[in-house]
Amino acid sequence: MPNKNAIKSAFESMMFIWGEPLDAKTAAEVVQIDKKTAYEYFKELQREYDEAGRGLAVRETDGAFRFVTRPENFDYLQRLCTPVKEKRLSQAALEVLAIIAYRQPVTKGEIDMIRGVKSERVVEGLMKKELVEEVGRSNAIGRPVLYGTTKSFLRHFDFESLRDLPEIEDIEDAIHEPDRERPDEAEQITFLQ
Amino acid sequence: MAYKVKIDNFEGPFDLLCYLIESAEMNIYDIQVSQITRDYLAYTEALRLCDPALGGEFMVLAASLIELKSKMLLPRSGAAGSAAEEDPRSELVMKLLLYKRFKSAAALLLEREERAGLFFEKPAEDLQPYTNEPDEYLRMDPERFAQAFKAFLGRKQRVDEVRSIYARAERQQETTEARMSLIKNLFSLKRVSRLRFRELLKREDDRFEKVLTFVALLEMVRNRTVRAKQNSGFAEITVELCEKEEPAYAE
Repeated sequence: MPNKNAIKSAFESMMFIWGEPLDAKTAAEVVQIDKKTAYEYFKELQREYDEAGRGLAVRETDGAFRFVTRPENFDYLQRLCTPVKEKRLSQAALEVLAIIAYRQPVTKGEIDMIRGVKSERVVEGLMKKELVEEVGRSNAIGRPVLYGTTKSFLRHFDFESLRDLPEIEDIEDAIHEPDRERPDEAEQITFLQ
Repeated sequence: MAYKVKIDNFEGPFDLLCYLIESAEMNIYDIQVSQITRDYLAYTEALRLCDPALGGEFMVLAASLIELKSKMLLPRSGAAGSAAEEDPRSELVMKLLLYKRFKSAAALLLEREERAGLFFEKPAEDLQPYTNEPDEYLRMDPERFAQAFKAFLGRKQRVDEVRSIYARAERQQETTEARMSLIKNLFSLKRVSRLRFRELLKREDDRFEKVLTFVALLEMVRNRTVRAKQNSGFAEITVELCEKEEPAYAE
């Protein structure tokens, strides 16, 4: 079995050529080591790049890794090639996205209730941007669609995983009212095929 | 119009209510219902003047506020000081707090999005050149290789054939120059110095022909062989032959 440095070096080359986030699991299969070790090696690479202040940085999204440019170099890159800035999300879109992110899986009805306003169009817009997706159906009357966030969402906001979402003061107390009917999630959700 | 901008600033009735409570420097747990209802109604009234189709959601909350206000006027039922007696405002407060939390979550996301906008990544590479497995071609025996080459030659021949037809077809189409002299001839044939654009066209002309005539006409206007006049948009275009061609532009 190749030594650790050789494997890490291989991971660097693989990330370089892959472009898309490279799943630690895929990489582990290629070099034939276990997934957990591969993940640790990626994390080590990430630290090393950060500590050395290299022009590239390693970013994780949901167990997959990719090279990005170092944020500190933003100004230089802008001067070099004026990269197109993506249009930022509207306030309404951010509100709906926050509700879906923190409360998923969630129905449109619940979103509307929290915002006090219809959110149908906004949800559609977020679906088009692939930031949210249908994740199943609730067992409530009419079997409304449940929504959740996507990997693109994590990537767009640079979250490593959903656990990485910033804590909001008391949000848990506020969203789980004690008298609210909420059967076990496993029971409640029927996954789409 | 100035109000319209305001509407866009509020994401819904809760947003507006939160804003009013904050600007009145009121404690959210101790809302002065009568004052806030007055403010809210005045605000939505103003919004409605500019946008009659203002969302029904705003009206629903207005109704709830008025109901709440009337409840606050009534003496609390049951024994005075009963701790179990619920404040009629508590439901609204819960809703507002919930909304506010997600609003601040949205602000966090925005911050996060801005930070994530500071670095760039490469789009996924086209891995085709690496996955084509060139080995396969080398393993091919000479006969199959010759066959493949023959097929390639055959295809090239067919493509050339199609191309030659295509080229012939293009040569048959008229040039702007030819059309220009045709138009000039039309003037001398009819012995007039003025024609309507419609008269330059033949009934059976297809779109290409019409466009060609028009382009030819534009060209003639440019080198001052003719003058064209149109009194209004989509009106008839009158084409008039110039007295004398400018020698500089003559052919």
